[in-house]
Amino acid sequence: MAHLLLMPAILAGATEAVLLSWHVQPGGSFAEGDALAEIETDKALVELTAEEAGVLGRAVVLDGQRVAVGDPIAVLIAEGDTEADIETALTAGAPEATSASEPSLDAAPPAASDVPELPAPSPSRLFVSPLVRKLAREQEIDLTQLTGTGPGGRIVRRDLEAWVAAGGSGRRPAAASTPPPAPAEVEEIPHTGMRRAIARRLTESKTTVPHFYMTAELRVGRLLDLRAEVNARPGTHVSVNDLLLKAAAAAFERVPEANVVWTDDALRRFPTVDIAVAVATDAGLVTPVVRDIGAQSLTRLSTSVRDLVDRARAGRLHQHELEGGACSISNLGMYGTREFSAILNPPQSSILAIGATRDTVVVDDGTIGTAQVMTVTMSVDHRAVDGALAAQWLAEFGRIVEHPVSMLV
Amino acid sequence: MDPFQRYRVDMTTTSPLTSDAPWVELRTTDEDWAQADPVLLATMLGQLHLIRAFEETVLELAGEGLVHGPAHSSIGQEGGAVGSVVGLRSTDGVNGSHRGHHQFLAKALGHVAPDGLDLNALVTPEIRTVLHRTLSEILGLAGGFSNGRGGSMHLQWHEAGALGTNAIVGGGVPLGAGHAWAQKHAGTDDVTLCYFGDGAVNIGSVLETMNLAAAWDLPLCFFIENNLYAVSTSVAEATGEPRLSGRGPGFGIASWRVDGMDPLAVHLATTAAAEHMRGGRGPAVIEAEVYRYFHQNGSFPGSAFGYRTKDEEQAWRERDPLDLVARRMVERGLIEDDAVVAVRSQAQAAMALLAGELTEPDTDGKAGTRRIRAELWPDTSFADVGIRGDLSEIAEVRIEEEATFTGRLDTTRFIDAVAGVMDRRMETDPRIVVLGEDVHRLKGGTNGATKGLPEKYPGRILGTPISENAFVGLGGGMAMDGRFRPVVEFMYPDFLWVAADQVFNQIGKARHMFGGTGAVPLVLRTKVAAGTGYGSQHSMDPAGIFATAAGWRIVAPSTPFDYIGLMNTALALEDPVLVLEHVDLYGSTGTAPTDDLDYQLPFGRAAVRREGRDVTVLTYLSMVQHSLEAVEQTGIDAEVIDLRWLDRASLDWDTIGASIRKTNAVLIVEQGAVGTSYGGWLGDEISRRFFDWLDQPVARVTGAEASPTISQRLERAAIAKTDEVVDGLRRVQEGFGTSGVDR
Repeated sequence: MAHLLLMPAILAGATEAVLLSWHVQPGGSFAEGDALAEIETDKALVELTAEEAGVLGRAVVLDGQRVAVGDPIAVLIAEGDTEADIETALTAGAPEATSASEPSLDAAPPAASDVPELPAPSPSRLFVSPLVRKLAREQEIDLTQLTGTGPGGRIVRRDLEAWVAAGGSGRRPAAASTPPPAPAEVEEIPHTGMRRAIARRLTESKTTVPHFYMTAELRVGRLLDLRAEVNARPGTHVSVNDLLLKAAAAAFERVPEANVVWTDDALRRFPTVDIAVAVATDAGLVTPVVRDIGAQSLTRLSTSVRDLVDRARAGRLHQHELEGGACSISNLGMYGTREFSAILNPPQSSILAIGATRDTVVVDDGTIGTAQVMTVTMSVDHRAVDGALAAQWLAEFGRIVEHPVSMLV
Repeated sequence: MDPFQRYRVDMTTTSPLTSDAPWVELRTTDEDWAQADPVLLATMLGQLHLIRAFEETVLELAGEGLVHGPAHSSIGQEGGAVGSVVGLRSTDGVNGSHRGHHQFLAKALGHVAPDGLDLNALVTPEIRTVLHRTLSEILGLAGGFSNGRGGSMHLQWHEAGALGTNAIVGGGVPLGAGHAWAQKHAGTDDVTLCYFGDGAVNIGSVLETMNLAAAWDLPLCFFIENNLYAVSTSVAEATGEPRLSGRGPGFGIASWRVDGMDPLAVHLATTAAAEHMRGGRGPAVIEAEVYRYFHQNGSFPGSAFGYRTKDEEQAWRERDPLDLVARRMVERGLIEDDAVVAVRSQAQAAMALLAGELTEPDTDGKAGTRRIRAELWPDTSFADVGIRGDLSEIAEVRIEEEATFTGRLDTTRFIDAVAGVMDRRMETDPRIVVLGEDVHRLKGGTNGATKGLPEKYPGRILGTPISENAFVGLGGGMAMDGRFRPVVEFMYPDFLWVAADQVFNQIGKARHMFGGTGAVPLVLRTKVAAGTGYGSQHSMDPAGIFATAAGWRIVAPSTPFDYIGLMNTALALEDPVLVLEHVDLYGSTGTAPTDDLDYQLPFGRAAVRREGRDVTVLTYLSMVQHSLEAVEQTGIDAEVIDLRWLDRASLDWDTIGASIRKTNAVLIVEQGAVGTSYGGWLGDEISRRFFDWLDQPVARVTGAEASPTISQRLERAAIAKTDEVVDGLRRVQEGFGTSGVDR
């Protein structure tokens, strides 16, 4: 059966690509896994591989042609299909699309490749109970995805609950399929709104944002000494985290190109350095943003952070305090975690995962010694910040942490 | 052919029957004028002039558009007012009609100058204050006796015995009877005079009260100001007995007829009537012929409207009471002509000054016009203040609920709790009095609600004639007086229509209308009797109608324990409270204390009778039990809330809101016909308060469209019981949809 091969979206959000060259001639056959063509995007060169065996019936697009994502580039046929079948496939309008297989990208970890769907045609009127409208608004649910079983086809509360329990369907990648029925001894803890929000946002982040990771091992001896000295003053309780925040802010000031976030149309660069702190609360992870760190003294910064943390734990943060900034810091050192990588907090472009400080053997100029070392891992949004830029920033951060006096100048 | 011809016999004898009550016409003689106390004459002259000047100022201001609403002038009728009031005490009461400035002022002036007036220094500071506050009230200003809310037609000053004039024709007369009842039973020999006109003498309130006052020997005087016209309708057109005092003998009431333009005659007639009443011989009727020089309302003469002649008006002006008293005093050498002029000038000057204090030149209007001074108006935020009391009277009471009651509880029949709590309250509070039809007989009235009480409390359980309007109005007057606390029974709720003016226009509005502070502690009991076969006119549930009246509170106890607590609260409140009962509940049983009947239920608190998660059922009275049965039958996990407090101000929004936020569905359940139903306003309010919490429209169970009729099958089909609630629950269930996720 003849069917169309559509130009895939190599990266999420891409709107067009170039078909550089065909690897199969019209009439030529191919096996599953064979390369059909080479496709170029702004950033990458990708091989389009066949999902199943077949024959290239007709190439709709020629070598070097720029094509919009989703447009047909060829008609694939099976043995026995005729020209008439090819014509039928071309004029059929919206045939079934073959989704592109996972292309391989160099230098970057694999990212999920989305076939962007055309938006579902919305019905002329949705009948929804007031309660469901409110809940859908709060949870950012697209009601056109639900079926109403109330009177007159009204979408009612139980419809929404069933849809959410089934994991939802539609554009968003399923967060979880319907779980198998649990054995009787298992405890079911119903989701809070916060748990659902965390699940949705971080799934979206992990699956749609191209993360890459960078690790550094930092000597923190001088940093800890500085902290002790600062805290010698009565009434001062500056934490290691406060110092790391200050260091990160200083690094951003020296590498301002990294203080950016990706938006559909542009890179947004911020005039001040705002960094979010990850706070574990009983209800879940919260990331309040500390504003304009560069303008705050260490002690004042310490107070600001403590206030945000307290209020986060009490559930008394304002919405605007949870938004903004290009970077987050997450510290699991107090649990003894040596090293970890964190998931980006959308729409931020970096997150710094701080591990525990430990005594370890180090080598300086060929001499073996011991030092206090901390492993930090940075996750970065490759759309906004490239590897070299991230490395530059991390190096700067490391320099400041290892020579903390430079924060003063 | 005369159909009775074959039965006609002509051997009958007839003998005239006469009334036992005297009916006389009283006229003064020269001798009366010669003997009259000079202080009395001087006081009357001074009051007549003050009132005349006051009324002229009111018309002047009305002509300038500064009196908002009507200005019913009493010019020409001052003689009837002054002559009758001048001999009264401050503890005697008067009330009047829409045309009542003259009687009000006469009473107020008599109160602040009990020893009479000095014609050389007529306007004392106290008198100036009375004039100021009265004019302020008429103009709707904050400085008035009722804070500007009463105006010309609702003038009240309790301190002076001015009980409150009334804009409903005859509306104040039953209330006056209540005041008279209180005066008599408080052991005084004070009296009450109700003033009304020839237009009112034919209305139900007046005639019912005449009967009631005579039956109960009340010290109440029905003072008929016959000014010959009700707006434009003459007395001759309106009645078959134009000698209006003639109604008195028909009710067994001593009656006088007198020339109202002769203040001395009026005074002498009133003195005689007062002696009659103070002596405990019952009510009196005084008919005074007077004449209003102007039309019903405003400053044009009636002749301008074509219903009487200028000649007639002129003839009456020649009988002007101010001129008559002055002439008689001059004849006796008690005063000079120029002094009479000076009296007039003093009155006019005082009024001109007063008008100037309340008005100022209107800088936005035409040259020479005036307006009210802006700062004298009441603040608009005052509009809804004081509709009901502030509940401070129940701030320090003992609250109990059945679920947490630690005392002894016994199985109790509902009707025994009704009689039991009334017994206890009458025992501890000697002010409580019960009124209703047959409440004093039949071993506790028609249902046993007053069982044992007439014997225990003689004279305090009053069987009334069948006159709901008069006896609930009497209760209202009693409550406003405050020395007694009436409990009035309507045998069937539908009888509220017969008494609607007293229930809604008088009792329900009195506190707010007269400024917000006057308590009206009246309890009204009635029973829903739908299902007993009494038909269309005896089967209503009055909750919906009473809920439209902001001044009424409504309680609906569904258990004996709750009845005791809610009746105790109702009796303690300073507001009118409807205590709603149901025939189906009287025979029901529950647990209640028998040795502790002094607790109250928490104010404004509903009771969750069954907890549930899927629908909030809001209901009251007998439908609580029907709802619980229906929930059992359907297996739906409903939360059933017994509202207990039904009026808008007392409804328990906290409990209702918490439930709706949990269930997202509401079913309002009641028994009666849709038109007079209670749930309409409640559903509307819920839809707006809880819109975002509702998963389906507010559902309702009610009776049918028409009032239930007597045929048993048809009656059953017309009201709601368990089956109808089952049906309602199933309708709600349909709204759940079919996505079967259970919580």
